[in-house]
Amino acid sequence: MTTPTTFWRLAGVSYVQYVTKATSCLRAALKEPAKSKAMTQETFSYNKSVWSNGEQGAKKLTDSLAAVGK
Amino acid sequence: MFAQLARRAVRPAATAAARRQFADAAPAAGLMKLNFNLPQETLYDAVNVKSVVVPGATGEYEVTADHVPIVAEMKAGMLTINHEDGEEEKYFVAGGFSLTHEGSTTDIVCPEAVKLDDIDAAAVTKNFEAAKAKAASAEAGSIEAAEAMIEVETNKAMGNALGLAMA
Repeated sequence: MTTPTTFWRLAGVSYVQYVTKATSCLRAALKEPAKSKAMTQETFSYNKSVWSNGEQGAKKLTDSLAAVGK
Repeated sequence: MFAQLARRAVRPAATAAARRQFADAAPAAGLMKLNFNLPQETLYDAVNVKSVVVPGATGEYEVTADHVPIVAEMKAGMLTINHEDGEEEKYFVAGGFSLTHEGSTTDIVCPEAVKLDDIDAAAVTKNFEAAKAKAASAEAGSIEAAEAMIEVETNKAMGNALGLAMA
């Protein structure tokens, strides 16, 4: 790999993470109603399901990846 | 004999021209074709415009008809579309890419593009000051420092676009 030259790459942040952070900064500084519409792009959630005997169990909505392992 | 040679010279050119007809129709003379896409919506799809001013990461540049092909990363800044009828339309983009192809077509892709009217100046100033404080207190070279710097840069660009004095 070539030597990283941008401050974010040097700190270990990838381009996708960089542009996503810049975009959420932009969205945080919007006025209503544009803000609510833009914030829908930022919401995400996870579904957790436990597999047993080759069968997928029921999917359950989870708040964070950290809670998934418990 | 010369007539035979002339016929053989003409035929390859005719088949080559017929083959090229599969390409997209070129935009009208003096205009360029713009495709401006966000992941969540399409702002412009193959629309003929006069020019686009792109906020490239290494410098701002204007793309007109027959521009040399160029791929550029965009930095947070103002993107201006000069329409056919002379109207100027401005968007603030947070980042993304602009790809200009042979044949006067430009693809602009970015995660978010907003009109200046939708940006809250008070929120920009507040977030800018908060981000500066975070950047000063964070450990140098850490991810928190980098994230704070990204916030500083983006809010600064927004403030500059709105005409505020950002220091």
